[in-house]
Amino acid sequence: MSILAYNGGAVVAMKGKDCVAIATDKRYGIQAQTVSTNFPKVYQIGPSLFVGLPGLATDTQTVYQRLKFRMNLYELKENRIMRPKTFSAMLSNLLYERRFGPYFIEPVIAGLDPIDNQPYVCNMDLIGCPNEPEDFVVSGTCTDQLYGMCEALWEPDLKPDELFETISQALVNAADRDAISGWGAVVYVIEKDKITEKHVKTRMD
Amino acid sequence: MAASVVDTYSDPNMSWMNAPHSTGTSIMACEFDGGVVIGADSRTTTGAYIANRVTDKLTKITDHIYCCRSGSAADTQAIADIVTYHLNFHKMELGEQPLVQTAAAIFRELCYNYRDSLVAGILVAGWDKKRGGQIYSVPIGGMVQRQAVSIGGSGSSYVYGYVDANFKPKMTKEEAKKFVTNTLTLAMLRDGSSGGVVRLGVISEAGVERSVILGDQLPKFYEG
Repeated sequence: MSILAYNGGAVVAMKGKDCVAIATDKRYGIQAQTVSTNFPKVYQIGPSLFVGLPGLATDTQTVYQRLKFRMNLYELKENRIMRPKTFSAMLSNLLYERRFGPYFIEPVIAGLDPIDNQPYVCNMDLIGCPNEPEDFVVSGTCTDQLYGMCEALWEPDLKPDELFETISQALVNAADRDAISGWGAVVYVIEKDKITEKHVKTRMD
Repeated sequence: MAASVVDTYSDPNMSWMNAPHSTGTSIMACEFDGGVVIGADSRTTTGAYIANRVTDKLTKITDHIYCCRSGSAADTQAIADIVTYHLNFHKMELGEQPLVQTAAAIFRELCYNYRDSLVAGILVAGWDKKRGGQIYSVPIGGMVQRQAVSIGGSGSSYVYGYVDANFKPKMTKEEAKKFVTNTLTLAMLRDGSSGGVVRLGVISEAGVERSVILGDQLPKFYEG
């Protein structure tokens, strides 16, 4: 097993009509053993900005803490909310600073721009190369399965409740074909004035 | 069950990543008053990918003898096929149903003599008229040990305590089925290499009755 597969996990984010959704599994495991079923990898970092940090669990926590630190300083100095594209650039910089001894995280970003309300999703590799597609992003130990599910289920301009169903089915069915992802799921749907957090019931094996 | 896969990110110099080959499975056999109950999960993995989520790891050797397979899927299937052949032949020569002990001995011959090439952990379980319900554990390496209750596979590590605390000799058939179901469910909850459905078999003088317990019908335990 590789270092990125030591703890396991899966995160996916999708764009919809004036909304975005991001979903994570809740497993915390050490190789094949499941230690906890309450370890979501997605954190809220701004009023309409979420980041998913699948990979090595210790780095999930550390990168989140360092990210929050940089975000807080930015918001204090600039006196405004950070836009998703800027956050993406900041995270990319944080990861590339560790180019030759990287954090074992392949992050996913999802948010709505606070100024023009455009949906934004982004993912990157462990040294910060960003990818900003128009549809969906995936990361974790079941990316092959996730790509298959997303490619089949996603269509443009899904409304929030449709997007919720689509992203939930994509995550759950992909994780059910991965021995080290799953054991519960959390889905966030982000709209202009509303954020819904739903804990999805999944197989616990 | 595990099949080998090449992982492009592996670094062979880092010893903690060369963890021992996982016998990804949870299997169990339990004596009751009148026969044996056997059970297994249904997951086959290729690395972390679940190649088959509805595998049948309970394999028929004769009408009254089954085996629970853990370890390499290829190795255990090949061994079971060879044992079935030998036992069929032996049954014809003997003129009556073969003993469970004989099946276990043939498994042992293969698993011991080819121990350097095989990765196979097998539970041989069945009923014969000489000794009734019996379970013989043939773990990796090829020893044989008769036991009243036996567990195997990577998922078994998590349930030794539960089995020791809850097994009682001379259970009824229904109690034994519940016990096996609960044990395997707990193993599947913790072990990433085990999961899917619980397949059960009840072997007695009457023969074998097979059943399946699907994921949503499994008993509910604390999932914190």
